[in-house]
Amino acid sequence: MFLHQLDLTTALRPSLLPEETLLFVQDAVGLYEGKFKIPQYQHGQAYLTSHRACYVDHAEPRKNSVAIFLKDVEKTEFYAGFLKSSAKITVYPKPLKQLIRSSAVPAPASLSNGTPPRHASPAPAPQQSATWVCPICSFSNPVPSNFDPALASRTPIPPCLACGIKPPTVHVVKAAIAGMSNRPPPGPPPKDTKYGISLPVPSASGMVSCPRCTLENHPSLANCEICGAPLATAVDRRLDFARDIDRSASPGPSLTTPLQTEAPECIKISFRQGGEKIFHERLKNALVQRKWLLQSAPPIPKPRPASGSFEDVYSKNTDQSSPDVERPRVVGIAGLERRGLEQRQNNEAMIGSAFEDLEALMTSAKEIIALAEQFASQANLGTNGNLEASALASQSASALGLITTKDMLGTGSGSESLYISELSRNLAEWLTDDTRGILRKEGGIMTLVDLWAVFNRARGGVELVSPADFEKAARMWDTLKLPVRLRKFKSGLLVVQGRDRTDEKTIASLLAWLKGLHQGPPATDVTWDWHMYGRGVTAQETAERFGWSVGVATEELEMAEEAGALCREQGLDGFRFWENWLVKLPGLSSTA
Amino acid sequence: MATTAPLPSNFNQTSALAPTQTGFRFPPHYSFPPFFTLQPVASTRSSQLSSWSSLIQSYCRYNRIFSLSIIDTLNTPLFYNASLNRRLNLRDAKAILSYMSTSEGDNRAEFIGRGKQKAGEEDGGKVWIYWRRPEEWAAALEEWVERTGQKGTVLTLYEIVEGDASRKEEFWSMDMDLLQKSLAVCVKRGKAQIFGSEGSEGVKFF
Repeated sequence: MFLHQLDLTTALRPSLLPEETLLFVQDAVGLYEGKFKIPQYQHGQAYLTSHRACYVDHAEPRKNSVAIFLKDVEKTEFYAGFLKSSAKITVYPKPLKQLIRSSAVPAPASLSNGTPPRHASPAPAPQQSATWVCPICSFSNPVPSNFDPALASRTPIPPCLACGIKPPTVHVVKAAIAGMSNRPPPGPPPKDTKYGISLPVPSASGMVSCPRCTLENHPSLANCEICGAPLATAVDRRLDFARDIDRSASPGPSLTTPLQTEAPECIKISFRQGGEKIFHERLKNALVQRKWLLQSAPPIPKPRPASGSFEDVYSKNTDQSSPDVERPRVVGIAGLERRGLEQRQNNEAMIGSAFEDLEALMTSAKEIIALAEQFASQANLGTNGNLEASALASQSASALGLITTKDMLGTGSGSESLYISELSRNLAEWLTDDTRGILRKEGGIMTLVDLWAVFNRARGGVELVSPADFEKAARMWDTLKLPVRLRKFKSGLLVVQGRDRTDEKTIASLLAWLKGLHQGPPATDVTWDWHMYGRGVTAQETAERFGWSVGVATEELEMAEEAGALCREQGLDGFRFWENWLVKLPGLSSTA
Repeated sequence: MATTAPLPSNFNQTSALAPTQTGFRFPPHYSFPPFFTLQPVASTRSSQLSSWSSLIQSYCRYNRIFSLSIIDTLNTPLFYNASLNRRLNLRDAKAILSYMSTSEGDNRAEFIGRGKQKAGEEDGGKVWIYWRRPEEWAAALEEWVERTGQKGTVLTLYEIVEGDASRKEEFWSMDMDLLQKSLAVCVKRGKAQIFGSEGSEGVKFF
C-alpha cells in the first residue's frame, strides 16, 4: 500500500498526526498513477506535511483523498512542464515493496488499453533504444543494459562516453523510462505527457521532427536520418497540442478502474496552477529531514541521580518493568520530595543540553515544549489567576504547527484566495477542535472580533492574521461548507457559531429556559402570576445562563423577539424579555 | 378609589390578580408586565395594540366612560396596574389611542378638538372612546325609540341621557356632545329631526 486512506478534519483538511507539521499547500492539482490519470482525483489540493503528501479532492473530499507516507518514498522527480503539459512531481515508492509485489502479482494488466505491465521488473530487458543525452556535451549515450530505473540510486552509472562526466541519476532514469516506454507496444501505446522532451513531434506538414536533433523526418522513417534516434512510434506518441486549460479534461489517458492503492509504479502530482517548485523543494527537504523517524525515536536519555541508590519509581516515564536492579522504594513524604528533586534534576539536565546550541534545541523541541507547558501550569497553580490566558499561552506552541501561513502556499494567481481558504479551514478546525473548545466555552457563539483576538493570541505573536484576511476567511465558511458559520446580526455585529446552531434552535433553547422559570418562584417577590407568565430575563442573565457575551445575548434575544417568540418589557433597569404571551394568549384579541 | 369595592357575585377569584375598585374584570394581559411596554416588533405590536384597544373599550363600557383625557387616565387603573407597579407611559398611551383612531384600529377612538395628527402632540389630549361608534349609537337610539313606542314624540336630549325611561340603556348618562353626534347621524339618515336652540334641543324620531 503506497496510497493510504486519509483522515480529514472537520474542515476537510488532512488531520495531522502527532508531531506532524504542515509544510505546504497547493490547490488545483491532479494525481497520476504512472502515466495515467486517476479518475476522480483530478482536482484537489495537495498538502505537504512533514510526514506525508496528501491529496484532498475538491468535490468529494471524504471519499477521494489519499496520502503518501514520505517514509515509503524512494525518491522524487521533478518535471517542469512542457508547452501545455503541467508541471509534475513524480513520487516513487520504495523499491523493496516493488520487489515483493512484482513477485506476488505477476501480471497486473488491469489497464484499459492493454499496455504491457507498467511495473518495472527487477531486471528489465535491456533497452536498445534507450539513450540518454549528456547534459554537458549532448552526446547520446546508451543506457546500460543492466540499468533499472527503480533501483537507480544503487546502480552505478557509467560516465558519458564522449566527455567522461557522470550524468545525474535522475537524468538517466528519465531516459531509461522513456526508453522503456518506447518499446513497441502490443496495443495502442499510452500517450506520454510527461516525458514530452523525448518524443518526436509531428509538424503540420506531416513530417516528424526528431526528438533529439529536431530534424524533420519523413513520417515513414523509423529512425532519424541524422542522429538515428527512433521515430517509429512517433505519431502515436506525439504530444497533445490540443490540450485544454481545464486540465481534468486533458487528453491524458485515465485509468478506467478506480484508484488502485495496491501497487502503483509511481504517483505523479500534476500542478495545474503552479506551486510545483516550492512543493518539490519542501518535499525534498522533508525527505531529507525524515521527521517521521523522530516519532519513534527514543526520548532523550534521562540522567539518573549519581547515587543510584534508589529506584525513581515516581518519576515519569518510569521503567518499572525494566529488569533494573531492585532498589529500595522510598515512600511517603520522603518519596515525594525525592521525586521532586529528581524531576528538577532531570529538567535541569534537559534544559542544559537543549540550549547548548540550536541543533540540540531543535532535536529536543518536543521535550522542551512539554516542559514549558508544565512550568506554565505549575506557575498557574500558584497564582490561580487568569486561567484562560495561560491555557491559550500553552496552546500557542502546539497551535503554531497547525496554522497555514502565507509562505506555506504556492505563488501564482490563486495564492491569495488559497491563503484565505486555507485560513478559513484553519479557523474552522481550530474552532471545532474539541480539545480547545473555543466555541463551547463561549456558549457556542462568539463575536468575530473576539475570535480574531483569541486566534491571533493563540498564534503567539507570529504570523498574525490581518482583520481583513480574517473576515474574508470567515466569509468563506459557507462556500467551503465548513461546520462553522458567520452570522450577521441586525445591528451588523458579526458572530461565529456552529453550523448546527440555527436560529430555531436558539429560540427553542431560550423558550425552554423561560418555560423552566414557570416552575419555581422568582427570587424576588413578584406580583404577577409566575405560574402563568414565568418571568422576564435580562440580557445579562441570558448571557450568564448560556455563557454568551452580553452583546451576543442581546442580539439573540432581539432575534427571538423579531421572530415573535419573545416580547420585551421596558423597566427602570433596562429591557427584560418575556415569552410572548401578547400574541399567544388565546381569546383576548378577539373580544373587541 | 381608596377602598376595594365588594366584588360582583359573578366575579371569579382568579381575576383577583387585577382587582379594581370598580369590579371591572381586567383581561389576563393586564397582569402581564410586558403588556405595558409597547413592542417594537410589528406582529407582536399589532397584537398588543388590539389587546389594548379591546381593554380600553371594555373598561370604558364598564365604567360608562365616553371620553378620556389621556394625561388624567395615566393614573387610573386602566393605564396603571398598581399591583404590578407597571404603567403605560404617555407616549405609548397616545400611540395606542392613535392606533384606535385609525381605520386599522376600527375607528374606536377619536381625538377631540384638534386634528388627529396634532392631537397626539400635546399632552392635554382628550379622546372619544367609541366602544360604540356614533352610527352604532344612532342605531341603538332608534331601536330604543322603536321599542318604547316613542316614535313621533319629541324627546329632549336631557330626557334621553338622564331620564328614568332610559336608565337601563347603554346610552344613559351619555356625554351630551356624543349624543348630538349620534343624533346627527340619525338626522342624516332621515330618521330623526332636531328642534330647538342650543341648550334646549329636542329630537323627534320618525
